[in-house]
Amino acid sequence: MTLLKLTRRAMLAAGAATALALSPLAVSAQTPSDVLIVGQIAEPKALDPAAVTAVNDFRILMNVYVGLVPYKDGTLEVEPSLATSWDISEDGTVYTFSLREGVTFHDGSAFDAAAVKFNFDRMLDETHPYHNTGPFPLAFFFSAVQEVEVVDEMTVKFTLNAPYAPFLSNLAYPTGLIVSPAAVEQHGADFGRNPSGTGPFKFAEWRSNEAVVVEANAGYWDGAPALQAVVFRPITDANTRTAEMLAGGIDLMVEVPPVALSEFQDDSYTVHEQAGPHVWFLILNAKEGPFADKRVRQAANYAINKAAIVNDVLEGTAEVAAGPTPPAFAWAYNESLEPYPYDPEKAKALIAEAGAEGAELTFYVTEGGSGMLDPIAMGTAIQADLAAVGFDVKIETYEWNTFLGEVNPGLEGKADMAEMAWMTNDPDTLPFLALRTNAWPDKGGFNSGYYSNPEVDSLLEAARAATDQGERAKLYQEMQAIVQEDAPWVFVANWKQNAVTSDRVEGFSLQPSFFLLLDDVVKK
Amino acid sequence: MAGYILKRLISAVPVLFGISIIVFVIMAMIPGDPATAILGSYATPENVEKLNRDLGLDKPMVQRYFIWLGNMLQGEFGRSFSLNRDVLDEVLDRFGATLILAGTAFVLCALLGIAAGVVSAARQYGLADKAITFAVLLGISIPSFFLGMMMILIFAVKLRWFPVSGMWPIYGARDLPALASHLTLPALALAVVATGVIARLSRSAMLEVLRQDFIRTARAKGVHERAVIWRHALRAAMVSIIPVLGVQAGFVLSGAVYIEIVFQWPGVGRMLVDAILKRDILLVQGGVVFVAACYVLFNIVVDVAQSMLDPRIKT
Repeated sequence: MTLLKLTRRAMLAAGAATALALSPLAVSAQTPSDVLIVGQIAEPKALDPAAVTAVNDFRILMNVYVGLVPYKDGTLEVEPSLATSWDISEDGTVYTFSLREGVTFHDGSAFDAAAVKFNFDRMLDETHPYHNTGPFPLAFFFSAVQEVEVVDEMTVKFTLNAPYAPFLSNLAYPTGLIVSPAAVEQHGADFGRNPSGTGPFKFAEWRSNEAVVVEANAGYWDGAPALQAVVFRPITDANTRTAEMLAGGIDLMVEVPPVALSEFQDDSYTVHEQAGPHVWFLILNAKEGPFADKRVRQAANYAINKAAIVNDVLEGTAEVAAGPTPPAFAWAYNESLEPYPYDPEKAKALIAEAGAEGAELTFYVTEGGSGMLDPIAMGTAIQADLAAVGFDVKIETYEWNTFLGEVNPGLEGKADMAEMAWMTNDPDTLPFLALRTNAWPDKGGFNSGYYSNPEVDSLLEAARAATDQGERAKLYQEMQAIVQEDAPWVFVANWKQNAVTSDRVEGFSLQPSFFLLLDDVVKK
Repeated sequence: MAGYILKRLISAVPVLFGISIIVFVIMAMIPGDPATAILGSYATPENVEKLNRDLGLDKPMVQRYFIWLGNMLQGEFGRSFSLNRDVLDEVLDRFGATLILAGTAFVLCALLGIAAGVVSAARQYGLADKAITFAVLLGISIPSFFLGMMMILIFAVKLRWFPVSGMWPIYGARDLPALASHLTLPALALAVVATGVIARLSRSAMLEVLRQDFIRTARAKGVHERAVIWRHALRAAMVSIIPVLGVQAGFVLSGAVYIEIVFQWPGVGRMLVDAILKRDILLVQGGVVFVAACYVLFNIVVDVAQSMLDPRIKT
């Protein structure tokens, strides 16, 4: 009897609860003005620039911290900021920076040369008292730094162990953002959840798995931002992120899936696009098998219809790549390069010349991964294009981390080709790590296809040692022409980063660096 | 009784040890290591080795297992690589969110499922029965993640009755109405399949009971039909419905993973999926051990309760 009564009462209660729940209780309220809500792709790991590696986390950090020499708006060239000027020694090994006066961190402590030294020593010196607040996975960006010295209160000197031209670009990378030593000392390993920098926004609140909130820093030396606050919401699922944007739950959405772009065509949204320092390519195994012959590698470049991949598979969210260096590095890009045209007949002729007709190829494809765009669909399209010129391509698909574990140690004995994508901050990085003879996997590099050309090697070494940007640019342009001709890779696509803003948001633009800068954004 | 409880608790210890070993070995064996996951494109052998050393992953496997186990026995689950947060804090937060979601869905599916089953049985082959059977089969056939996406599209994007995702509003009070409006869609999407199963099984359990002599006696006595169904028949049918509820509770809990991803619900299922993809070893291990411990404990409580209620089950 008790059971019956209970059930009946419970049913009534449930009915009432359901009715209550189904009534439109909270019609999702409009987001407040002057507060920008950003739909991010994941929960950040930490708000400590030295400790994180993901673009997702950089999007928050670039608004809370400032570095010595950030990228100039809309470019990949550095400009003064916390460092007002700098001087490079003749031999390119000593960099002396004059620092901006009167800047304070959000916690009130002063920014000076000692603070800069603290930042780099913390990352690089294993005996530093706060080195244990790491690990610092990208500290190797500064592995050329031998010593950081405080010359006077507002002057700091970096001594490198060898000339290293990408040093300034690396300072512009989030790993080079300057954190408050006082806050690190106070919070230790928890600094990543209690960040303090000198940026336009200061940290307010982090609700795990819900939101990171930053507020305007009224005392920002470059003028306080127009927004009162920015809320970064982690929304992992791309469909859900799109739905939030359509429902008005967020004002700015990053990484819009190509298929969802058509949802945002009307006037209430603005779609932003910006090509970045990204290149998507196929590593070809130049050591063994059919791709050991340059003609077959060139044939692969002719055989693959890259325009169809970027327009149909990627729905126009990428451009056809011409060579190993993305055009976003405008100062170092070789404008005279034309992408390999789609020409299956020429490909067939080259293959016949090399006697590689009907070769069987093993092709490593990944399921996802940073910068990999739509790797399975792209891999399938490539397989079909290569089949059309007579290759028998066998795809092997791996989950991303497993994939890296297979590809990074080299393709020898395993595969003829593999998908890969890189996003870098300097034109030096990718070719230096993935095209030099000294970057073969057994020497600790990423040249998984064993490309080797002494001319390319010496151009890259020379470019790294040069300090003059014009001279570096010439060397990189020459390298690009040679590499395009040698075709160690199939150059496929340069990704255009995208974002959508609602019509309440003004003054927003994407940066070629793929960072998100919000200090000039206004919301009505 | 105390002896029985103690016996069950002791027998849980080897189970948990087994689970800890299995999850540890699986995480150690799957290809891809945390350093590669963290470094991504920059995972040179040299960088990977240094980072593994910093993360304490360069020690032999057996040694790492015992360090982990020893710390865990002292309540130290370690720090997540991918979230830079204490594993236990994260797991407790996430588990709470999952319990709210799965608990609500379970209550919904139990009440709706039994009610639908009883009505169906009472009107066998009638219009109500056919309508319910149709709805139930439809509900069982739609994958919950697809249903969730459709619900978002209709009720959140088009009609704007409910928020799209999350558990709490970004601004405004974190009170019960706010929670209810965030909970409605995911809880319903999660409850649909289990509701269908419970409705089908309640219907057949009820039909069996309704054919028995005591029901005919009750009707012959002149008991009101409503009382016959809800008081006499349902009570007898509950004996075979309750075990079904137990099984469905498990399905609802595991089905929550998909719903948590679609609705961005900050639950433990989504946490584990993210942690596995990022090779966040300590978070996966800690999460699995914690959930397994709760499951084992829950089973013990159920068994003890059952043996208290039903003297036929020997203690």
